[in-house]
Amino acid sequence: MKYEIQLDGARGRTRHVVDLEKAGAGYRVLLDGKPVDADVVLAAPNAVSVILNGAAFEVHVAPTLEGGYKLQTGPHEYLANVQDPRAWRGRKGGAVEAEGRQQVIAPMPGKVVRLLVKAGEEVQTGQGLVVVEAMKMQNEIRSPKTGKIERLQVKEGQAVNAGEVLCVVS
Amino acid sequence: MFRKILIANRGEIAVRILRACHEMGIPAVCVYSEVDRTALHVRLSEEAYPIGPAASRESYLRIDKLIDVARKSGCDAIHPGYGFLAENPAFARACADAGIAFIGPSAETMEAMGSKTAGKQLARRSDVLTVPGTDEPLEDAEQAQALAQAMGYPVVLKAVAGGGGKGMRVVAEDGAFASAWRDAASEALNAFGDARVFLEKYLESPRHIEIQILADSHGRVVSLGERECSIQRRHQKVIEEAPSTVVTPELRRKMGEAAVRLARAGGYVNAGTVEFLVDANLNYYFLEVNTRLQVEHPVTEQVTGLDLVKLQIAIAAGHRLPFQWEAISPRGNAIEVRIYAEDPDNNFFPCPGKIVARRTAAGPGIRLDEGVYRGWTVPLEYDPLLSKMIAWGNSREEAIARLRRALDEYTISGIRTNASLFRRILGEPDYLKGEIHTKWLDELLTRPRPPAAEARTGTETAAAIAAAYWESIQPGSGAGSGDSGRPSRWKAEGRRAQVERQP
Repeated sequence: MKYEIQLDGARGRTRHVVDLEKAGAGYRVLLDGKPVDADVVLAAPNAVSVILNGAAFEVHVAPTLEGGYKLQTGPHEYLANVQDPRAWRGRKGGAVEAEGRQQVIAPMPGKVVRLLVKAGEEVQTGQGLVVVEAMKMQNEIRSPKTGKIERLQVKEGQAVNAGEVLCVVS
Repeated sequence: MFRKILIANRGEIAVRILRACHEMGIPAVCVYSEVDRTALHVRLSEEAYPIGPAASRESYLRIDKLIDVARKSGCDAIHPGYGFLAENPAFARACADAGIAFIGPSAETMEAMGSKTAGKQLARRSDVLTVPGTDEPLEDAEQAQALAQAMGYPVVLKAVAGGGGKGMRVVAEDGAFASAWRDAASEALNAFGDARVFLEKYLESPRHIEIQILADSHGRVVSLGERECSIQRRHQKVIEEAPSTVVTPELRRKMGEAAVRLARAGGYVNAGTVEFLVDANLNYYFLEVNTRLQVEHPVTEQVTGLDLVKLQIAIAAGHRLPFQWEAISPRGNAIEVRIYAEDPDNNFFPCPGKIVARRTAAGPGIRLDEGVYRGWTVPLEYDPLLSKMIAWGNSREEAIARLRRALDEYTISGIRTNASLFRRILGEPDYLKGEIHTKWLDELLTRPRPPAAEARTGTETAAAIAAAYWESIQPGSGAGSGDSGRPSRWKAEGRRAQVERQP
């Protein structure tokens, strides 16, 4: 199984293709087409241990709300986006507009300070929908698509958790 | 000794006090707000009661609810920890009225020593030098500004009821006075419910050195030596150590005697801290008394071998201190770092959230006082302190080496922490030489960050392989199953569920 990995680290962005093939108890690993002596196991929840020809690394993995992974190994951090090259399109829409009915979620815990739209209102991609205040910072949550506000799930003054649905755009 | 103790706090300090109770064989009762139902102090307790919604004002600051829980659960003592109600005389008085021992000084002592202005008056009476400034809370902005002009800038405005840098403003010149006055008063009102502020001359580059004292109810007061807390970010302590690199045995004795004199004059009983500012010529000026356990108390515990929480409890129960202060001299060096859930790349903004992975630190000389665990969601309602990591070594160099090593072991994923700040500080030549002062860190942080350390060969490869492997083991992943090359609905659902579990 091939994975295209995009890594954003302190020294910029790199891309690699990792091919993982089950072999016995472990994996045969190809990095950018070349075989690598790598032993990879899940050592603890969200902690992947990788030993590369004797050099040992523990990589902690935390999913991000945007669909990527935050990787942490020692003092080094990377943001990883994984794509299966054979898939139709990446998980990350990038500039591409989202399709279908979209739930708009709060990216961080906070308080709804303002609603910028009403239910039933027509909205454009990128238009501000809801302002969420977290740690004294106001964040405008924008529409992922052009469409209509099907439902507003929150009221002004309401506390929201990260991942909570703010509204639905259809 | 007490029958049962109510711990009127949360987080790492509640856990710390709970451990002391367990060691002494005293049953303890914990309290929790709605968001703390699964907090570590509740998980470790045998008895716990809800006290209301997440907001502190509705729960951990509600004197009536705490007294009610103490009564109903049969507690005869309350330990307030630090923060919340620890320095609130009304709470000490409510305990006394309810016939419950408050593990701390009496309300009267707190009033006579705890507020910064009262503390300064007491210092003058006990012949302890103070920073030039006003003794009385100031009434109005114009009167205060006239005093500031007479004293000469820079000056500092401080909340009467304050601590932890809240309600504090440094004013460099006359034009900035009015707005600083407004900010300090409103911040003080928000943080302590008391808008009164006072004025002091601002010392350039002083060190913050404080003396830990213990005073029993039989008149014995001892000094346990100093802690240096000069590494501060915007007046908030970040690293504390004992002993200080500049305090000689002679200075330690003098400062200890001053602190003891002051405590005696105030009739102080409990563990307490007398804070001083120390200038380049090693003159020490009294700053304030903290009439409670300090966040950084473990540093003193590591170099003295004493358990301050257990001693606090014994003192409150009327026991005598079992030692003379001459007997106590620091052994080795201890350094504490305060690991917070905050983002060093975003101006140290708090960033609470779920701890998805965690590797803890242990080994020789390392102590972690914490209230967190993997899978726990750090609430956004409270101070985002995760762990206090304390290293002890035979020398300052060994303590620093152990701290560095332990910081490499300690990793948390899912939330950002300020651990990288400590790695940076512990590599700074000034810090290693002990050439520090209270503005040192703020100055360091205005300098560009050194480039990221060169990663070991293979780090990026390991990260790429780990990401691919992680993707392959996610529920509904195509690996191993017949892969159609299309995004799987199962995979999408797994991803959604995984993300939604994140707070």
